[in-house]
Amino acid sequence: MENQESKTSSSLITPGDATSTCWSCGDMRAAHFCSACGKVQPPLPVDYFTFFALPRKLNLDPATLEKEFYELSRHLHPDLSARFDKREQEWSMEKTSQLNDAYRTLKDPIRRTEYLLRLEGVELEEQSKTATEKARATGEVKKQVVPPALLEEVFELNLQLEELRASQKMGESDPGLARELENRKAELEKKLAGLSEELQGYWDDWDRLVDSGSEEDRRKVRDKMVDLLNRRNYLRNLVRDVNEALGN
Amino acid sequence: MAYSDKVLDHYSNPRNVGSLDKNSEDVGTGLVGAPECGDVMKLQIKVNPQTNVIEDAKFKTFGCGSAIASSSLATEWVKGKTVDEALQIKNTEIVKELSLPPVKIHCSVLAEDAIRAAIHDWKKKQGADKPVAVETGR
Repeated sequence: MENQESKTSSSLITPGDATSTCWSCGDMRAAHFCSACGKVQPPLPVDYFTFFALPRKLNLDPATLEKEFYELSRHLHPDLSARFDKREQEWSMEKTSQLNDAYRTLKDPIRRTEYLLRLEGVELEEQSKTATEKARATGEVKKQVVPPALLEEVFELNLQLEELRASQKMGESDPGLARELENRKAELEKKLAGLSEELQGYWDDWDRLVDSGSEEDRRKVRDKMVDLLNRRNYLRNLVRDVNEALGN
Repeated sequence: MAYSDKVLDHYSNPRNVGSLDKNSEDVGTGLVGAPECGDVMKLQIKVNPQTNVIEDAKFKTFGCGSAIASSSLATEWVKGKTVDEALQIKNTEIVKELSLPPVKIHCSVLAEDAIRAAIHDWKKKQGADKPVAVETGR
């Protein structure tokens, strides 16, 4: 009976391997709760993947994650705090906030990818600044992180949006321009969908390389994902701005 | 976060907004972007071919107030400088002048990138214009 129960409930609630001992009963402890006495364990400064006992992989089953989330939420819920002692109450609050952050980040495919890239040492702003300093020192040309053609497109579309907003301000309507922008938006959305597909491919590459790849191979996939998210940022902003300007 | 007075001044009264003929031999165009925030900045310079002095500069930036102020200030600073002098402008000087907070430092980086990109474009045009020396030694 006991076996059956542990099968149906979350592995985070009744985990198999323990790494240290429970503060309360001294038994080997689990990540969030002691497997022997069930007491809440102190929060650890772990990354969100570790929090959910997941490997640093990008493909994950949203339904499983959601189930783990609700299960943990329930076990950490303040309503249960009558059962907890004071320390446990604090820990459960802290863990709940950790849990919420972790879940919000991991359930969203893009945020999950961005988060993993940060864990893997990607610091976009820092890298851009360093590249500029290098260009200044050496006189070499800094490579822009997004392709020039995309920058052109972003610039041109922004000009059109400005034109549309200006004519709207004057109380004029410009159905031709509005129609053109609608068409452009449809193209942008198509491109965004294409990027999602491309990203899925990199996810698969990454997950495979986590188990069996070299540092070098992983770095290559990592850089491809950074590159893709940069392009995606622009496209997403453009779609948003076009929608705003068109009053959608 | 509040903008500094200087940022507000450049933002509400930007200098040198506009464009120059990008096909002109004397004009260099730099188009750069900061994908983290979706900003895009175009900066153009018109260079006197005799003196290498930047006689005119224009910009157009789609982005936040700090990005607009940084590029506006950049056009003010490059005007009257030689190309080599303009290459000495550092993003940290823009940060200081506009009192940009740490989260807006990337705007100043973008402005420096734009200056460099514009000068590079102009230099490329000058190079292409002149006959290339070919080594013929045997």
